[in-house]
Amino acid sequence: MTTRSFSPDRRQLIAGGASALALALTVGPALAQGAPFRIGALNPITGAGSPYGSGMQKMIQAAVAVVNAAGGAGGRMLEVIAEDTQTNPQASVLAAKKLIEVNQVRAILGTWSSGVSLAVAPLTNDADIFLFNTSGAPALSNPPANAKGLLYRFQATNDRFGRAFAEIAVKQGFKRAATMAFNNASGIGNTAGFKRAWEAKGNQVVAEVVYEPNQTSYRAELQRVLAAKPDVIVMGSFLPDTTIILREWFQAGETNKWIIPGWAANPQLITALGADATEGLISVDSVSNETAASFAAFDAAHRTATGQAGIDNVYAAMTWDMVMTLGLAMEAAGPNANTAAINAKIREIANPPGEEVFTFAAAKAALAAGRKINYQGASSILDFDQFGDVTPDFGVFFITKGKLERRYVVKI
Amino acid sequence: MIFWIELVIAGIVSGLVIGLTALSITLVFGIARFPNAAAGDIMTAGAYAALWGHKATGLLIVGGLAGAGVGAALGLAAYWLIFQKLAGRAAVSLLVASIGLGFLIRAVLGVMFGHSQQVFQMPLVRPWRVEGVRVHPQDLTLAAVALAALAVAFGILYLTPVGRRMRAVADDPALARISGISPQRVMTALWLLAGAIAAVAGGILGAKTVVSPEIGWDMLLPAFAAAILGGIGNPLGAAVAGLILGIAQEVATPFVGFTYKLALAFLVMLVVLLVRPRGLFGRIEGVR
Repeated sequence: MTTRSFSPDRRQLIAGGASALALALTVGPALAQGAPFRIGALNPITGAGSPYGSGMQKMIQAAVAVVNAAGGAGGRMLEVIAEDTQTNPQASVLAAKKLIEVNQVRAILGTWSSGVSLAVAPLTNDADIFLFNTSGAPALSNPPANAKGLLYRFQATNDRFGRAFAEIAVKQGFKRAATMAFNNASGIGNTAGFKRAWEAKGNQVVAEVVYEPNQTSYRAELQRVLAAKPDVIVMGSFLPDTTIILREWFQAGETNKWIIPGWAANPQLITALGADATEGLISVDSVSNETAASFAAFDAAHRTATGQAGIDNVYAAMTWDMVMTLGLAMEAAGPNANTAAINAKIREIANPPGEEVFTFAAAKAALAAGRKINYQGASSILDFDQFGDVTPDFGVFFITKGKLERRYVVKI
Repeated sequence: MIFWIELVIAGIVSGLVIGLTALSITLVFGIARFPNAAAGDIMTAGAYAALWGHKATGLLIVGGLAGAGVGAALGLAAYWLIFQKLAGRAAVSLLVASIGLGFLIRAVLGVMFGHSQQVFQMPLVRPWRVEGVRVHPQDLTLAAVALAALAVAFGILYLTPVGRRMRAVADDPALARISGISPQRVMTALWLLAGAIAAVAGGILGAKTVVSPEIGWDMLLPAFAAAILGGIGNPLGAAVAGLILGIAQEVATPFVGFTYKLALAFLVMLVVLLVRPRGLFGRIEGVR
């Protein structure tokens, strides 16, 4: 499955190419068009991530078209090679190998689940190329996964999700919180982040359970937690285990509330359990930078490419920003920059201080004029910390009559 | 006290699933003489068939029968296409072939139904209170299905001529053969029965949890532990050991911690192999 980059408007591309050529002629041979800079779009087209994957991939292609229409980045055009992770670490390793060895891509963009990103990271590190991901596991922040500082995460870490859960629990007036975590880095990351933030606010976690996947029943785990009479149970969980736990909880006739990550408390969960059992569940997911001009540009591209509103796919906004970030860093680093030189520019163009910019063309013009820029993304304000992590805002959804209803947004 | 009784009830239902799977494994081991690693994936196929049957009619019993039918067909196909051809080879060749068969079934199910979870759409009902103990009607239904399957399986084994022949082959294949028992017919009966039992277990598991292509594979370890605990090749032992393991897993977790639930199955297997290799009900078996 290989698609090449294309411009939606041939005339625009020719115009862009012509202006780049004109620029090259005026400035001299140093800015001559190099070979295209290849990007691997490695997204979950099939498997558990399939609701998001094709939108993510289309937005990489759309963003590349925007960059190329503005004359490319660092004197080079971008080219996309698309692959499917199948939301499966083994399949993604094969696809990443192919992208690196056959297609010789210089960056891999848009890996989705933590298992996939952790599996692909050693390959991109060995090849000395970028890996921009949308996964939550805390392990992606540090070595060995992020040994060379070439990993950038456009989604919130599980720890930040946990902090958001604590904000919400306070806002909802909960007093007796308990936690249940799936026994992996992501699940425990959520509840550990919650516990730290919750206790820092002077509260106590009344019961905590870490459970194993693939159980026929979670009744013993539930009884342990419920014995502490919590008013809310905070989850670090995934869809299948959440389905079983909530079914058993509802059948036991309990009435406490739940705070659950958005990838577990989603429309599939409502389908599985019905409107009654899911009424009042609080589902938390990161939300895009919806009021920014960059989001408007993304939203328009998303509607053109998929026919759906950009707000429906937070991950697609992240992959859009991946291309913009990479393009601007290439532009700032200058022609024929190597990975290290581009890497050195990523925080420079994305973080404050600097002129806030929202589109590639405007940002490129500001760079050309010698000004320091601070790209404001469609997915978040996109300021990377020393680990390459960002801090998006979080949407708080209540399940009401079988529908996810967003009530408010929290910032951490 | 109520807390513990409720845990035991939850354990019985889990234990019946483990016991049924262990019964399927132990039958194959006793008669065809190899550990069948495809049992878990036959369970999964049974779960999808039961899901389909339940969706079409809304009746759990139809789902169970659909599962049993598909499982029996799958067992028979596995015998005709693979295990018959490998008859007489070392047990390890058959084991490896069964692992391959498991992969194949899982992959086909993944392609046919996708990897996202599906559920039995059953109304969620509140439990009955019996002397303060919560009893879930759904648990009772599933336990009844499991007990019915066990009754049919033991009826076939102990009350029918083909069952007697199967037990004769399990006891001593050479003696059975010179007594005029056709191994082919016994094998056919074995695979029909073993496939159907595993598939019913899968259907119950799917109704209790969620249905996805990996559910059966994940049950394989506790099922093997139960088969060993019960004395490998001993049908009654497998069923009883499954129950013991299911109850032990639920009741022990408040003490040992929930992350060690599965480790308990390992531990049981280890202790049995070290202390009493013939299992609870098995007899000492010489190398033939």
